[in-house]
Amino acid sequence: METFLFFFGGAVLLSGGIAAVASRSAVNAACWLVFAFLGAAGLFAALHAPFLAVLQVLVYAGAVMVLFLFVIMMLEGPVMQGESRRPRLWLPLLAMAPAVVIAVVASRALRTAAPVGFDTVLPDGFGQPLRVSWLLLQDYVFAFQMIAILLLVAMVGALALGRSERKRPWQ
Amino acid sequence: MAIGLTHYLGLAAAVFLVGMVGFVIRRNTIVMLMCVELMLAAANLTFAAFSRELGNEAGHVFVLMNFAVAAAEVAIGLAILVEIYRRRRSVDADELTTLME
Repeated sequence: METFLFFFGGAVLLSGGIAAVASRSAVNAACWLVFAFLGAAGLFAALHAPFLAVLQVLVYAGAVMVLFLFVIMMLEGPVMQGESRRPRLWLPLLAMAPAVVIAVVASRALRTAAPVGFDTVLPDGFGQPLRVSWLLLQDYVFAFQMIAILLLVAMVGALALGRSERKRPWQ
Repeated sequence: MAIGLTHYLGLAAAVFLVGMVGFVIRRNTIVMLMCVELMLAAANLTFAAFSRELGNEAGHVFVLMNFAVAAAEVAIGLAILVEIYRRRRSVDADELTTLME
């Protein structure tokens, strides 16, 4: 079951990501990205993280991508003018060069140690909301509060940026 | 066939690479932001895989932090893009070169 979920979710995530990058219209890219994030949720399920899988669907595939689609609708039409030009191909080749080096080094290193499955015995209820939130509110409560402040600042910043220019009292 | 940490790390690296290449080749700034999201998803996958390998849920907590950071980043990034569009009537990364000149 976990093997199936890995291959299925991995294929969905990777193909969705590639399609999002390759599609010309921004709306198509957003829809493919929703697809990819659903695949990522499947991978979280395969990793015994049901809480993360649910949140991935709710937060990413739900909230974040809806925000993207709203902004695409607010701005220009789905296909941007400049995007019809030929893509710059030397840049990705340049970007891939370090990746190729890393891949060669990693495959050399992995040849000695054959990949094995997970052998850790997980405690009961691993990754369930109860256990994760217990950890979040006990051991990591400081980080939790910092993230709350970050979200507050982001919200205020987005509101300040969103106001039309003549309504800004600070200008 | 047993799926282990190595498989997940390889997959995460591939997804990260797709996001990175997309960030470089696309000109639409909105799609570039989406590629950043893809790279963050790859990082989250790595956290969850190590969490599974070590039998420790701390990685899940970090993924939750990453969710919040990504949401904040998208909210601010898109607000800035809307503001840029109001002034310049474009979100083409090739046309936003005021700081370069």
